[in-house]
Amino acid sequence: MRRSELMRSSFLECPARARAAGLVDEGTFTELAGPLDRLTSPHLPALGEAVAFDDGIAAGVGLIGNRPVFVLSQEGRFIGGAVGEVHGAKMVGAFRLALAAYEKALRRHPEDLEEYRPAVVISFETGGVRLHEANAGLLAHAEVMDQIQDCRGRVPVIAVIGSKVGCFGGMGFVAAAADAVVMSSQGRLGLTGPEVIEQEMGKEEFDASDKSLISRTTGGRHKYILGDCNVLCEDRVGDFYQSLRDLLSLPYEELCRCRRIGTYSLVQEQMALTALAAELNPSDARDVWRYCGNADPEGLTELETGEFLRTARRRAREVS
Amino acid sequence: METVTENVWNRLAQDTAGRLEAAAQAAGGGKIVAAKDTVRLLEAVLRPGDKVNLEGNNQKQADFLAEKLCRVDPAKVHSLHMVQSAITLESHIKLFEKGIAEKIDFSYAGAQAGALAAAVREGKVKLGDIHTYLELFGRYFIDLIPRVSLIAAYQADREGNLYTGSNTEDTPVIVEACKFKQGIVVAQANEIVDRLPRVDIPGDWVDFVVKAPRPFYLEPLFTRDPALITDSQILRGMMAIKGIYAEYGVQTVNHGIGFDTAAIELLLPTYGQELGLKGKICTSFALNPHPTLIPAIESGWVKNIHSFGGELGMERYVQARPDVFFVGPDGTPRSNRTFCQIAGHYAVDMFIGGTLQIDEDGNSSTATAGRIAGYGGAPNMGCDPKGRRHATPAWLKCGQEYGMREVLTGPVPRGKRLVVQLQETFREKMAPGFVERLDAWDLMERAGLAIPPVMIYGDDLTHIVTEEGIAYLDRCRSIEERRAAIRAVAGFTQVGRKAKAEETRLLRERGVVKTPQDLGIDPARATRDLLAARSIRDLVRWSGGLYQPPGKFKNW
Repeated sequence: MRRSELMRSSFLECPARARAAGLVDEGTFTELAGPLDRLTSPHLPALGEAVAFDDGIAAGVGLIGNRPVFVLSQEGRFIGGAVGEVHGAKMVGAFRLALAAYEKALRRHPEDLEEYRPAVVISFETGGVRLHEANAGLLAHAEVMDQIQDCRGRVPVIAVIGSKVGCFGGMGFVAAAADAVVMSSQGRLGLTGPEVIEQEMGKEEFDASDKSLISRTTGGRHKYILGDCNVLCEDRVGDFYQSLRDLLSLPYEELCRCRRIGTYSLVQEQMALTALAAELNPSDARDVWRYCGNADPEGLTELETGEFLRTARRRAREVS
Repeated sequence: METVTENVWNRLAQDTAGRLEAAAQAAGGGKIVAAKDTVRLLEAVLRPGDKVNLEGNNQKQADFLAEKLCRVDPAKVHSLHMVQSAITLESHIKLFEKGIAEKIDFSYAGAQAGALAAAVREGKVKLGDIHTYLELFGRYFIDLIPRVSLIAAYQADREGNLYTGSNTEDTPVIVEACKFKQGIVVAQANEIVDRLPRVDIPGDWVDFVVKAPRPFYLEPLFTRDPALITDSQILRGMMAIKGIYAEYGVQTVNHGIGFDTAAIELLLPTYGQELGLKGKICTSFALNPHPTLIPAIESGWVKNIHSFGGELGMERYVQARPDVFFVGPDGTPRSNRTFCQIAGHYAVDMFIGGTLQIDEDGNSSTATAGRIAGYGGAPNMGCDPKGRRHATPAWLKCGQEYGMREVLTGPVPRGKRLVVQLQETFREKMAPGFVERLDAWDLMERAGLAIPPVMIYGDDLTHIVTEEGIAYLDRCRSIEERRAAIRAVAGFTQVGRKAKAEETRLLRERGVVKTPQDLGIDPARATRDLLAARSIRDLVRWSGGLYQPPGKFKNW
């Protein structure tokens, strides 16, 4: 596919490898530990399951400007993008390379570090732990979280969410721990997936067959209003790429102000939000939107993304 | 002198009068019955052994009355013989588990196909016959005449006139069969109003109306999310458009329910346009209001559509396109399953749809051993109607090239309807689309049926489209040649692996089998970029906001 076509194509429908290449400058993406290396899951064959030569993730490095950007792009078509041992190891490996690259940039470009500072971008499409290899998968989640902490003050970590499966399970935590979150309206972010909520709490609590409800509760627009998503963009690969460029052009300190967790005041803000949820006791995401100053919450979902961005009122953040 | 005993000719009316009197005592005198009195009403009008019609098909359901029927006292009301289009609600099975009903004659079982098979195995249900819709409707007037019918309407007035609107569906045929044999008609209505938009069922054919506490259930069965259409479906769609629609100039069509035909609908304004086919194919349909047809309608491809039923969310769109759909003088749409089934049977040149299994002789079935799914209307669409006499170019062309015509009817010219199956050689979970033996045989044995439930018979099938190619079965001159053509497009299934390269080459030379290359189609072009709409949201945009998809399909 030509670059211009890729930029115009739907991010939602874009497979992981093409997405990874599209998120960095044209022609700069190099895949690491790719399918030709055939690093496959050691656990799946024992269960009689098929393996994928990339274990469901494309990992590699490209450039945005002069900045090396380490990209992790999960493939939902392989076991729903679930994280197994090799999949997780590729994620952790990319973080380690990014940190090593940071040290190198610090030595070589002490004057213009902002321009050369490496970044990590994760394009999520996952339900979290791969149950076939749950211990290894859980461990991978913990290790990635660890790496994100090691990156603090050095390497920006950006979560990108707009693929079919969404970002759920343990990876929902990982996304929330990133410095900044970019989503499309179609992107979905949460912890417990809709089907599991329905199974555990009943259809009255959450009807997993109601796509509109799922979208209102976990979708990009709700997360944007609430502040869990920093940048909302159109469902095009090119729009995600541009959003990344814009975020990375910010001074690092400013980019870090997108964070949701990591300081005492941010924790306080999260606690205040929890208290608000209890007080407001919303029965639908629309109640929250109304509380945030949106007079016509029903109408908000019907708007095109651009119009939504001009119209929607977001929850006021106390920490800036 | 012989004494002549006086014949009584109105026993049915007398019996009905007795029941209505009992009903008046049980539920007050009026036509409008309170929801809380429904069970008492049903106990008063029903007698053990009655033939009872419970309205419900693959779209609207008299679900409130079905639930109330489950609550009658089985000591008073039992051994009912249900005659109904569909078995799709849990309550439909519950009637048998509670011993209220005993036997069933039906057409289609959707969500309850598995439960029905289990209930038959356990001896809880006596299975009558499994019909097509038209067959069953016919029997409503011959030997399955409903004594009591429980039906559903959008609105009723105080005289019992009913408005059934875009979901009129089976109501007219049920009421006519029941009422004109002095039966009793009970309707559930979403609301009771002073003035109806129009009268779909006259009030003097309706004995009781219950205002249901919630609107009747409506299954959006014909909504296909374009986001789920695969490249393989798009390839088959392109092949069908170029190799069949264009080849025969097919203007009048019925489409099956699956994603394959949804792909075709979404390819008309793009690929169809590119081939210059607008106005030449697909101008008239016997079809439910498929949301995926919106782009083709908006692009001016479609002249008219008559519908079996209404589709949830499409009401406003249909209403706003009266040149295309059938809309009443009051400005709101109506549907009628009987008429649309007749139209689909006699008045269209082609049926095209998908199936689960095709055997070596071209017989196809959607049956699996653990599910009694029935037929619905498919066999009446997917066949060559023997009573057809009017000639159209597509029908004549197919008849002219029909390879077995001479053997069967000699030199008399006759047309043939196109019956097309779109089939992936391997479906989900690697289930083969071509099999040596249909699962229908196992179901026949397990459920004690007289014949295996074949949906479309091989002798009616004229074309098979797979990703390997199109088999023009109508052009085959013998059953052996038909089998060879089927093998040639059956890919790597057990059936396909019997194909012989030389045999297939000869068939390709004669144009009996055509691969995508033979058709001049590059499979690399078959991507989702070719679809006129790639999501439900796109369909809403195409409709200018008139299509209002239910939450189940609305991912925003």
